[in-house]
Amino acid sequence: MHEMALRGDILQLVENDARSRNFKQVDKVELIVGDLSNAMPDALEMAFDVFRARGLGMLSEGAQLVIHKEAARSKCVICGHEYTPDRRLSICPECALPSGRLIAGETFKVQSYEGS
Amino acid sequence: MKINLDTEVLTDNNAAAKFNRDLFTKHKTLVVNLMSSPGAGKTTLLEKTIAALGKEYSIGVIEGDLATEKDADRIRALGAKAVQINTNGGCHLDARMIAKVIDEFDLEKTDILFIENVGNLVCPSGYDLGQNHKVAILSVPEGNDKIPKYPVMFRRTELVVLNKIDLLPYLDFDVDMAIEDLKGINPESKLIRLSSKTEEGLDEWLTWIKEAYRNLQEQ
Repeated sequence: MHEMALRGDILQLVENDARSRNFKQVDKVELIVGDLSNAMPDALEMAFDVFRARGLGMLSEGAQLVIHKEAARSKCVICGHEYTPDRRLSICPECALPSGRLIAGETFKVQSYEGS
Repeated sequence: MKINLDTEVLTDNNAAAKFNRDLFTKHKTLVVNLMSSPGAGKTTLLEKTIAALGKEYSIGVIEGDLATEKDADRIRALGAKAVQINTNGGCHLDARMIAKVIDEFDLEKTDILFIENVGNLVCPSGYDLGQNHKVAILSVPEGNDKIPKYPVMFRRTELVVLNKIDLLPYLDFDVDMAIEDLKGINPESKLIRLSSKTEEGLDEWLTWIKEAYRNLQEQ
């Protein structure tokens, strides 16, 4: 479970930016987590619960975590068909060829945060 | 006040990976990031590789494990330079960990550096370490369903070494299905079948390494 490490990366991004703006607290952190990003939303929630319980006195300690999931989508480079990929995600269901390329689902970003 | 950061979570890791990559490129050191489940045979394949190529190439190894120096000791026994990173519970290596130990290698004299990642088919796949190539090892006893079950790993590797093929007669591993699944997930990926134990297929792996090294020198 690498979500504990990812939590550290997320907090570092938010805390550094918030401190540079002289914010005193962060109220909300919004993430975009793709289906194929290898980060599990539930595990991220748990990692943040552990962080809050520790009481480290950081700006984000009381922040609400909002996770926007990004579904996986593929597009065929031959016929242009867009589809929700399954087991063999590069196989275009129209052409039956390995011509599909992922166009969404790998994102793993801090979208925004709210601070004051 | 809402601040739109719109920043990759792994921004810091990716910056460290670029630092590593610039160093490796400067010295023309070929760097291969080896990933697999625990027990797939990463260290044994490295032992065979060093035994076969150690005279021709100067080989270094970074070993990633939760604990112990056991793997690094196995590599050192063959006369190759090995540095052990203990992640103390961490499930993967990240680029910062690699950056911290790079100085222990004389890169000018290191032709090939293998990074043996922590045994895990999930977490290591997301972390760029600054390598030239990502290779996954899948072993026959794990079953052919691992490729579709861990699509993120097999999408991001360019070569799958199917290890322990000497066990195929005894187990229900469907090689054709594994190849079809791999093609369906990552059409560009190659697959090499080998057995580190019997050394069947080992030449194909060694040729792949030599070609990768030669291509890097010609760049």
